[in-house]
Amino acid sequence: MKHLKPINRKARRIDDLVASMDEDVVALAQPRPHVPMGCSLSFSPGWEVDASGGTAGLCQPVERDIYDCYVTCFWPVQVPDHVNYSADWASNCAAATKDWRSLDLVFP
Amino acid sequence: MRRALAFLRSAVSFPAVSLGVGVAALTAPATAATLFMGSYPDRILAFDEDKGAITGSMRLETGLPTSMQSSQDGKKIYVTTITTSGIEVIDTATRQITNRFSLNDGATKYRFSSGAPDAAGNFFYTIVTRIDKGTDKYTVGKPQYAKIDLKRQTIVQTADVEEKDERSGGGRAALKVSPDGRFLYVFGKKILVVDTADLKVVERIDLAKPDGTGMENVGFGRALDAIDASGQFVSLFNATDPYVHNKVFGVARFDLNSRRFDFAPIGPAPESMAGLQVAPDGKEAYTVVTTGKYGNKRCEFWRFDLAESRVLDKAEFQCRSRFTFGLSGDASKLYIYGASYDIEVYDARTLKHETTWDLGHDTTGAGMVVVR
Repeated sequence: MKHLKPINRKARRIDDLVASMDEDVVALAQPRPHVPMGCSLSFSPGWEVDASGGTAGLCQPVERDIYDCYVTCFWPVQVPDHVNYSADWASNCAAATKDWRSLDLVFP
Repeated sequence: MRRALAFLRSAVSFPAVSLGVGVAALTAPATAATLFMGSYPDRILAFDEDKGAITGSMRLETGLPTSMQSSQDGKKIYVTTITTSGIEVIDTATRQITNRFSLNDGATKYRFSSGAPDAAGNFFYTIVTRIDKGTDKYTVGKPQYAKIDLKRQTIVQTADVEEKDERSGGGRAALKVSPDGRFLYVFGKKILVVDTADLKVVERIDLAKPDGTGMENVGFGRALDAIDASGQFVSLFNATDPYVHNKVFGVARFDLNSRRFDFAPIGPAPESMAGLQVAPDGKEAYTVVTTGKYGNKRCEFWRFDLAESRVLDKAEFQCRSRFTFGLSGDASKLYIYGASYDIEVYDARTLKHETTWDLGHDTTGAGMVVVR
């Protein structure tokens, strides 16, 4: 398509749109940005809803999903961060669904 | 790409022939097995399939397990941990930790989520991200292939992952080392073949692991759930034809030493598939196919005849939002586990639910290693 040049305003807008997709600003765009630390740029919904705005996509009960989010920082606002500052949060609780009361308290 | 498609075209004409060659080499006796499972907060559980009960528990001093990889002879399990970026080696016979160390060293930390040992057990290969704590900032490095000397307990060689390959595999790709130790295979969006001498990519193959369902493949340690016998790696892959770009799934067999592979297509690629679980006799295999999302999500077991490259049976089951699929050591049971403290057990012949085993511990993304 490089041999085509826009000659009217509508074509130029299309050309600009295509060119904008090659910009290096990727913070909230697709493809997903590379976030090596994992815990600072997650804007996904929390425990209350899934990505569709409903609840059917959540683990049932949601306590089943706490730990993988804790380790991978998938929902850093809702659960402590295992990697950076709360490695012992779950040390007294092997099964979150059964004994979540044993989870440690975390104060910022 | 061209090479992969050439194989695809040839395999379309002779699928039964190309698959039949590999089946004989996969034959092995079926015996009762022990399941080794990563669990919270810092343990590997040993679970006896016959008894349906936990028979052992090993504490990992380096922290929470994120991946497990069995040695080719099944005598050792290599565990990676995230808490202190550690590696621990378990002797499956004695259930003792024979080696353990952490890569983190003061102001320098590493992130990695899976890896693979060489056949001799001397080196462990992975993809790491190095983080250096400075006086005023953290410096996060680029993803690197890393060669870890298990005796010296340190990284002895690294090489940057090329930018075009970062999204092909990254830290969550499944890794496998050829039996002769010459090549590291990275199974991600593409298959990368890395020379272990200089950690440079020598070949890129356009076959992709099927898309997983949600986060079930995090860690990817268990993604190498296919059999490997005589240096052969077998799994489900997706490929696209060169004309109308129709995505098909099929069984690919790799000879890891020679870097040769063949691909036998089976049918149109479903929305997402779990990894291929192959019976010890190599004749049949199982997977889970998932369609739809959220409230419309539906899951089915699929049973394959590997010799004839066809689907024998399907059955829908009530699946979790997030899960991992496994197979018992004698291939008589199908396991659904993960994101919970239990294993749902299904009969592999009827595909019906049998029972549920309570582990008492939530399982981690490290998944399950079956030792016969």
